[in-house]
Amino acid sequence: MFRKILIANRGEIALRVLSACKELGIATVAVYSEADRHSLHVRFADEAICIGPPRSSESYLNIPQVISAAEVANVDAIHPGYGFLSENANFAEVCEASHITFIGPSPTLIRMMGEKDRARAEMGAAGLPIIPGSDGVVPDEDSAKKVAAEIGLPVMIKAAEGGGGRGMRIVRTKRELIPAFLTARAEAEQAFGSPNVYIEKLIENPRHIEFQVMGDKHGNVIHLGERECSIQRRHQKLLEESPSTAVDSPTRERIGRQVVEALRKVGYSNAGTVEFLRDSSGDLYFIEMNARIQVEHPVTELVTQVDLVKTQIRVAAGERLEDAVGSFEPHGHAIECRINAEDPDTFVPSPGHITTFRVPGGPGIRVDTAAYADAVIPPYYDSLVAKLIAHGRDREEAIARMQCALDGFVIEGIKTTIPLHKRILADPDFVAGKFDTHFLEHMAPVEAK
Amino acid sequence: MAKKSKADSGGNREIRGVDLVEVERLLAFMEKHALEEFEYEREGVRIRLKKAPAQGAGAIRLVSAADISRAEEAHAAPVKPGGAARGAAAGSPSSELHLIKSPIVGTYYAAPSPGADPFVNRGSRVEPGQVLCIIEAMKLMNEIESDVAGEIVETFVENGSPVEYGQPLFGIRPQAKK
Repeated sequence: MFRKILIANRGEIALRVLSACKELGIATVAVYSEADRHSLHVRFADEAICIGPPRSSESYLNIPQVISAAEVANVDAIHPGYGFLSENANFAEVCEASHITFIGPSPTLIRMMGEKDRARAEMGAAGLPIIPGSDGVVPDEDSAKKVAAEIGLPVMIKAAEGGGGRGMRIVRTKRELIPAFLTARAEAEQAFGSPNVYIEKLIENPRHIEFQVMGDKHGNVIHLGERECSIQRRHQKLLEESPSTAVDSPTRERIGRQVVEALRKVGYSNAGTVEFLRDSSGDLYFIEMNARIQVEHPVTELVTQVDLVKTQIRVAAGERLEDAVGSFEPHGHAIECRINAEDPDTFVPSPGHITTFRVPGGPGIRVDTAAYADAVIPPYYDSLVAKLIAHGRDREEAIARMQCALDGFVIEGIKTTIPLHKRILADPDFVAGKFDTHFLEHMAPVEAK
Repeated sequence: MAKKSKADSGGNREIRGVDLVEVERLLAFMEKHALEEFEYEREGVRIRLKKAPAQGAGAIRLVSAADISRAEEAHAAPVKPGGAARGAAAGSPSSELHLIKSPIVGTYYAAPSPGADPFVNRGSRVEPGQVLCIIEAMKLMNEIESDVAGEIVETFVENGSPVEYGQPLFGIRPQAKK
C-alpha cells in the first residue's frame, strides 16, 4: 500500500481524496495555488506545497510544478481527482516516468477514451451499442440518401471538423435531406475550412444515463449500477440520481454486462463512467467514457455503500477487485444536488466571501464541501460550493429528505443555486420521473414577484 | 524562466505581496468616497489606510479642491516603499527589502555544485541577471537570477531544503547600479 499520496486537485474533491487516504493510513500532500492558501485541503493535509499563482494553467495544470512537488515530498502516488490533470494522458505518462503511481487508468486507456471518435469506434467494436451513424464523412448526396435510409429519420448532420452548432442540421423529412446536406456543407466550409460532414441518428428528448465502473490491474472489471444525469443546463449537470427511473432491471443487467465485457476487452482499470443516451423507446446508445472519478460519485457510494475513492487507491496499489470491493447489494435511492456559487436564475457566477454557512444533517444526508463560514470562493476555478446528497429507502424518501436538507442549508454572502434545486425537487414532472435533458428549459418559470 | 517580473517605473513593484499600484487605487477610492479609514484584506495581506484627523474634527465640513490636493499629497507619502510596507507588513525591520521569491517548486542549492562556494552570501553585491542560487526541479537545474542591483541582506533558505512557489529566498536592499 502507498505510504504517501499527493492530491493534485483542490476544493471538495481534494478533501474527499484526503479522507480516503486518512482512512487507509496513508500520509497526504496537498498542492495549492496562492488563491487557495486558506483552503481546507491545505489545512488538513499532512504536508502542503504552494505550486503557483491563482491561474490554473500556472498551478493545478502545471505539470512540472506538480511533479516537482511530488518529488520534493517523496510521494508514492498521485491522485488527480476530477478535471484538471485527471484525463491528461501525458501527465499520467510523466508520473510513470517519475516512478510515481498515477491513481487512474493507464495512459493508453486515458488517450483512447479522450479521443471521442476513437472511443466510439473501440466501444462499438467491443460490443456496446453506439448511435447509428455514417462511417465517417459522407462524401456526396447519394451517400447521404443511403445513410439516412439505413439509419432512419430523424437524423442530425454534423460538421466533421468543428462544433458549436455550425454545419449542423436536423433533418426530419426525406424532402429536407439534400438541401440540409448542402447547406451544412457550405456552412462547415465557411466555419472550419472543410465541408466534411457526417450523419448520425437524432436522439430526440434523450435521457443521460451513465454506468459507474471499476477495474483492477488484474483484468477484472465490475459495474456499480447507473446514474441518471438528465437535469442539465448547457450540458452541465445540476442534479444526479441513482437508480434511474427510466432503466428497468433487465436493461440494467444487459447493458451492465455489455459494459463490463467491453472494458475487459480493452483492459480498463481503476474508476470510470460510461455514458449513454437513452431514446424514447428505451434503447441506450454509448456516447463517451470518462476515465476518472466523477463529481457525482457519492450517489453511487450511498446506494452501494462502496467507497469508490478508497477502492481507486486500493486497485492502484495492486489489490484485486474481490478484496478491494468485495460484495455489495444496492439499496435505496440517492439524489445529489450540485450547489454552485451562481445566481439561481441567470447563472451568473457569484464568487466572494461566505458569511454564513450552515450545513444540514440528519438521517440519509451527506454533504461534500470545502467551503466554510468566512471562506472566500475565488473566481479562478469552477463554481461548485457543495454537493448535497440525500439517500432514502426509496425515491420518495430521498426527495423528501433532499427538500428538507435544501431548506436547512443556509449559505449567505454569495448567491447559490439552492433556490433552483428546490424548484426542481418540487416540479411534478421531476417527481414523476418524467423528464429528459431538456427538462430545465421546460421547467415552469419563476413566478413574477 | 526563473526571474521575477522586472519592475517597470512605478508599475509592478511589489513589497511582500503588496501591489503598490493597488494601494494607490485604494487611496483614490478613499478620496472619492471621503473615507477616513479603510481596511482591506486579500490573500493573507491586510492593508489599513487611515487619514490624519481633519482640522476642526467633529463637524463635517466642506472640503475645497485645494484641501483635497493637499490631502492627496499627504497620502502620497505612504505609497513610498517604507510607508506602505509599514501599513501592510506590520513594521518588520526588513520592510524595505526587495524579496527574491522562488518561481518554482524544487530543492534549493546555494552553490553551483556540492563543496563549491555559494553563489552569494550576506553582504554580497549583486547586479540584475546575476545568478543567486539553483533550484532543482525534475532533475533540471534552474538558475535563479536577481532582478535588481543591490546588497544581499537576508538569505532565508538552507542549502538542500525544499522550496515552494512564492517562498522568499533572498532579501536584497536595492541600490543603484554601478
